[in-house]
Amino acid sequence: MSYVYAGYGVTIAALGGYAAWLVRRLRKAR
Amino acid sequence: MTGRLAVMGGGAFALVGLTIALGLGLPPTAEQGEYARLIAVHPPIAWVAYVAFGVMALASLLYLAPATRHPRWDRIAAASAELGVVFTALMLVTGSIWGRPTWGVWWTWDARLTISALMLALLAGYGALRRMTPEPERRARVCAVAALAAVVVVPVNHYAVTWWRTLHQGRSLAQVDPGSDVDGSYVGVMLLGFVAMTLVYAWLLAVRVRVEEAEDARSADLVADAIAERRREGALAGQ
Repeated sequence: MSYVYAGYGVTIAALGGYAAWLVRRLRKAR
Repeated sequence: MTGRLAVMGGGAFALVGLTIALGLGLPPTAEQGEYARLIAVHPPIAWVAYVAFGVMALASLLYLAPATRHPRWDRIAAASAELGVVFTALMLVTGSIWGRPTWGVWWTWDARLTISALMLALLAGYGALRRMTPEPERRARVCAVAALAAVVVVPVNHYAVTWWRTLHQGRSLAQVDPGSDVDGSYVGVMLLGFVAMTLVYAWLLAVRVRVEEAEDARSADLVADAIAERRREGALAGQ
């Protein structure tokens, strides 16, 4: 099961992290 | 960010959360036990990696066509390429995590895996090309041609599992066929994942294009300020 948690975890972390970074970039660029 | 955009993003991410929650509730399979639950994320991520590549190529084509040429298409291509890097890298990582318990290896030079790695290299190359070409119009033209040359890799990767003997399973969408022996709950969660990931991609693209617009406007302002400054200096020197 740890591989399933790892796969789900890395997906949430990568997409959430990238989205947060993009929103920060947008605020900075404006 | 506007309120509507924030709500759209929240909704798209909530749907990914729901897919993952349903994925955790899937029954174990005879062949793979619990590992098959990764079907909730890996095929949808791979699908979005293809979509990102396709949107980059389509926007590039629209930029190159004289009738539709507009900087907006170049911004969309650039934004989609960056999202492509994120989703292709995530496709390789989640695939590797699935491969280790089921195939016994994190990585192997199988046709599907190798071409997926090539996809990432091509997208990274596209990003490097954008940074190497400072003049905006020339950059847009050169990158559009490069994007159209690179997109050939997508259909080749899609059919790689049919054309060559690979360790990777067959095409995921072939499981939707009613004759498939895959449990309906697995197909349902996978399809929900496809919808959720596509919505997340659409939202990220909308935000990324706005970043590109804001950065372009800012650099245009900087250039205009610099020109005005030089003119003032010139006028002072002429006095």
